[in-house]
Amino acid sequence: MHGPSTGRMARRKLDEAGLVQYASSEPSAFAGMLGGLIEANVVADPDKRKDFDALAARVGIWVTDIDEGVTLVFDAGRLTVYNGLEPNRTLTIRAEAETVMSLSNLKIGLFGVPVYFDEVGRGVALKLMRGKLRIDGLLANIATLNRVTRVFSVQ
Amino acid sequence: MAITFASDEWAKQFKDEVNKSSVYKSAAKGWKWTVGLVVEAEPDKNFPESRGVVMDLFDGEARDIKVGPAADAQKCDFVITAPYSRWKQVATKELDATKGMLQGKLKLKGDLPTIVRYTKASQEMTECTARVPVEWPDES
Repeated sequence: MHGPSTGRMARRKLDEAGLVQYASSEPSAFAGMLGGLIEANVVADPDKRKDFDALAARVGIWVTDIDEGVTLVFDAGRLTVYNGLEPNRTLTIRAEAETVMSLSNLKIGLFGVPVYFDEVGRGVALKLMRGKLRIDGLLANIATLNRVTRVFSVQ
Repeated sequence: MAITFASDEWAKQFKDEVNKSSVYKSAAKGWKWTVGLVVEAEPDKNFPESRGVVMDLFDGEARDIKVGPAADAQKCDFVITAPYSRWKQVATKELDATKGMLQGKLKLKGDLPTIVRYTKASQEMTECTARVPVEWPDES
């Protein structure tokens, strides 16, 4: 058995570096998961770290079937995770829990663009077309969305 | 015939269901970590002691699934913890495990990117649990 590094350890390291913080002293489970996921991704992958360092955006994610959401405020190498949706968001993603998980499973292809032609990508694209995945601010912020997807993706 | 939840016989049938699933076999390709499920006691639900389910899962196969003390499950690479009644909700498909984790109803310990990468496998694992006919302690 090979033990994976734990999310808890990754969080402690990053907290020391001050990369990710939580606006609330009691972050929601969803906020903790997203923050932890991004922390672990950024620590493990220098390319994701570059994207993280270059990202300045306010991204809302609302999970429609649990009525919970977060706002991720990326500030060029720092991330603050808020419980709920904060104002002045660059992008807002609204989808069911399963779709949010699919977004974090999108593969990243040539030129850092998410892959929409494999099984996971087709599923995401189909949900977008059917309105089951809504992204407010998409057209004006495609490059930001791609960068957020790269930081968010575990692939 | 229904079997008692979190008994040795339940673990055996759960393992058989996992190994019968072609969906799991394909979705869990590359998985090489142990998973522990901690079922916390709820004496008022006739589940007086916490129990642990230790799952030795490797590359799309359940090599072993055992029920024992909660402490054994807590030593696994990934640990999911919830009270008895929450697990019952998951196994009866009243609560989706992914949603449960996002809501903090199921507490996860372990490397997040790895577990997210295997979302489909964990969903199928839940389906396998649901296929085992169970006699629930609070209903017996």
